[in-house]
Amino acid sequence: MSDPVLEFEDASFSFGEVTILDDASLALDGGTFVALVGANGSGKTTALELLAGLRPLDAGTVTRPTTAGRTVAYLPQSPRFRPGFTVREVVEFYGSLVEGEVDTDAILARVGLGGAADRRVDELSGGMARLLGLAQALIGDPPVVVLDEPTSGLDPDIADHIFEAAAAMAADDRLVLTTSHDLEAVSRYADRVVLIANGEFVLDGSPAALLEQAGEERLRDVFSAAVAGRGREAVDIDAPTDGGGK
Amino acid sequence: MRARPVVAVASREVRTLLRNRALLAVAAVFAIVVVGLGGASMGSPGGYVSLTYDLLLPVELLVPVLAFAVAFQSIRGDDERGTLAILRTYSVSRLEYVFGVFVGRALPAFVVVVAALSAAGVVASLGAPEPSSFLATHSAGDTPLIYGRFVLFAGWYALATVAFVLAGSALARTDREALAAGVGVVVVVAFVADLALVALLTTGFVGDLIGVLVGLAPASAFRGLVLELAIRPAIATDPGVATAHPLVSVIGLAGWTVTALAVAAVAVWRPVER
Repeated sequence: MSDPVLEFEDASFSFGEVTILDDASLALDGGTFVALVGANGSGKTTALELLAGLRPLDAGTVTRPTTAGRTVAYLPQSPRFRPGFTVREVVEFYGSLVEGEVDTDAILARVGLGGAADRRVDELSGGMARLLGLAQALIGDPPVVVLDEPTSGLDPDIADHIFEAAAAMAADDRLVLTTSHDLEAVSRYADRVVLIANGEFVLDGSPAALLEQAGEERLRDVFSAAVAGRGREAVDIDAPTDGGGK
Repeated sequence: MRARPVVAVASREVRTLLRNRALLAVAAVFAIVVVGLGGASMGSPGGYVSLTYDLLLPVELLVPVLAFAVAFQSIRGDDERGTLAILRTYSVSRLEYVFGVFVGRALPAFVVVVAALSAAGVVASLGAPEPSSFLATHSAGDTPLIYGRFVLFAGWYALATVAFVLAGSALARTDREALAAGVGVVVVVAFVADLALVALLTTGFVGDLIGVLVGLAPASAFRGLVLELAIRPAIATDPGVATAHPLVSVIGLAGWTVTALAVAAVAVWRPVER
């Protein structure tokens, strides 16, 4: 079995009193599409930033690929690009930051933006901007791609297209790690699901294995059972939404 | 520091400026004001010395405003859009990124300042009653070459103030902070540093050190260079008293530029061991 390409070992991180990771470990292999899920505020984005090398751990180690060139690509949630530039210019700019030639047309075609190459980024829809973000993630052929909720706020068809594109990127022997609240899409496209809660990775397995283990039919139910009572003390999700008749 | 990422970032910044109509308008207003002042000096018997005196204070005040317009949103804008997080996954160091932004923002500002002042010089020389006032070298040396020094010092002042504004943009964590930092830089560079010098003077402890101290604040360092190296050689009667030490002013202006860029590079993001 090959070594993991991305790994937390006894990792700890907190924002003051708020613990994001508490001596947590996680090993992720290349060629897999992994979904990191968890309740709002559970630390998914921060975990991604720690894995991508955008933040240092308080304690423990994170291991990333040591190959030459760009090793980890990162796409923040709702990225925006420099206004006034075309889609092609954005890819060309990022392409100029890596060694070797970058085939801009091929990269754009791969994410389905081949027909929008000359469109200005300020004229892109939210979904097209995410696809442009995915395109830049492919520049330099990094072995790890980290995506922060790439489908939030998008219509189901574009969301499916983004999940399909991300899964295809993983099929190239690349680790694609994404956070998402779209558990239906996660159960369809992800090879592996990791659930973070209270600073720990409390569930880890393929969607099918997690369903079987929990005896549930939907990943949504596995999620609810797993996060119940974990870090949601301040939110009464069973509160009557009509104000209890008052 | 590698040239490739610096050039890539710088060319993106230049294209950003050229495509921003508001910034082009600010540059145009700057040029119109400066050339207009040159026009007001048209045919003046005072020659380039008079023109330099006329332009010195407006340039001192307007260049920081131009620098603010050109640079205050640069780094902060990349952070706010999520571009900084993306850039960090490429092989770009903090210094390369900041220097690229500086080159891409400061060079166009330099060109605008130098071109506007050069145009002002040309306009002012039109219609001079005696060619010697503007074009010939009389005994005191009031030549275009001497005026050229003022123009270049103003360009350098533009570079320094852009560096200052960039530091503010890198330190800011919100758009509002970036705006406040940018305005703060303009006020400090254009007014506060001079006021501090005046306050020091009133204490009576400064004495002969005034020539050195004026070199330590950006605007007064620029002013000192202009007075000592552009105006003094061009006037017939040497005033005898030095208003500044040119070497200290050079070191001061260069020091502020380098320090501001260093602050920006340290503040832009916290490095993480790979």
